[in-house]
Amino acid sequence: MSDILAFVLNIALAIHIALIAVCVWRVWRGENVIDRLIGADLVTTLMLAVLVLIALILLNATYIDVALGLAALGFVSTIALAKYIADQQMF
Amino acid sequence: MTTFFQFIAILAVIAGTAFSLLGVLGFIRMPDVYTRLHATGKVSVFGVVLLLLATVALTPLSFGKGLVLIVLLVIGGPVTSHAIGSAAHRIGIPMKHAIRDDLTLKEVMAARDGDQGEGAGVDESAGVDDRAGASHVPTDSGAGGVG
Repeated sequence: MSDILAFVLNIALAIHIALIAVCVWRVWRGENVIDRLIGADLVTTLMLAVLVLIALILLNATYIDVALGLAALGFVSTIALAKYIADQQMF
Repeated sequence: MTTFFQFIAILAVIAGTAFSLLGVLGFIRMPDVYTRLHATGKVSVFGVVLLLLATVALTPLSFGKGLVLIVLLVIGGPVTSHAIGSAAHRIGIPMKHAIRDDLTLKEVMAARDGDQGEGAGVDESAGVDDRAGASHVPTDSGAGGVG
């Protein structure tokens, strides 16, 4: 059962890294600014998933701390960018 | 018991990866900003949360941190989606295949009730019937056959 778990985790890590590449391509070739903002938010979320998968593969709980900080910073940065786009000012 | 927890972790990782894959597929294939937002909300709320459930089931070392991250994602994901959608509607991103837009219609009627003496900028028939109100809806005109 442990071999199957390691295989599934490695496949999931490869799939998530490929999805990050697709989202970065979509941010580069976006239609409008909101599309690129959605893409950047999705890149942050998928990077969170990659960090959780690395923590599962290495069985190291330090990567969960890194994922916690990335989740907080990504949340604040997306809210701030959406407010800046809507109001043309930050505060 | 370890085998049982590993089985739970395998199921959670497969389900979370499927949610992430479908979310990014919807982000590529959906025709509109708002529907794309609907698709990408599933990656944050279901994909990463299921991977974190696998972490909680597998490593008892990171139990509390995983639960805190699950709570943060479940609260923060809808807030982020609502902020992006509000910004998109406020800068006037068009909706594709939309018949009517109730939020723009309400704003037009509120603006008409506000400056009723002047009447400048908003024509009189806006919002009275649906076809006249649809001229203010930010739809693209040639969206009939676009798939």
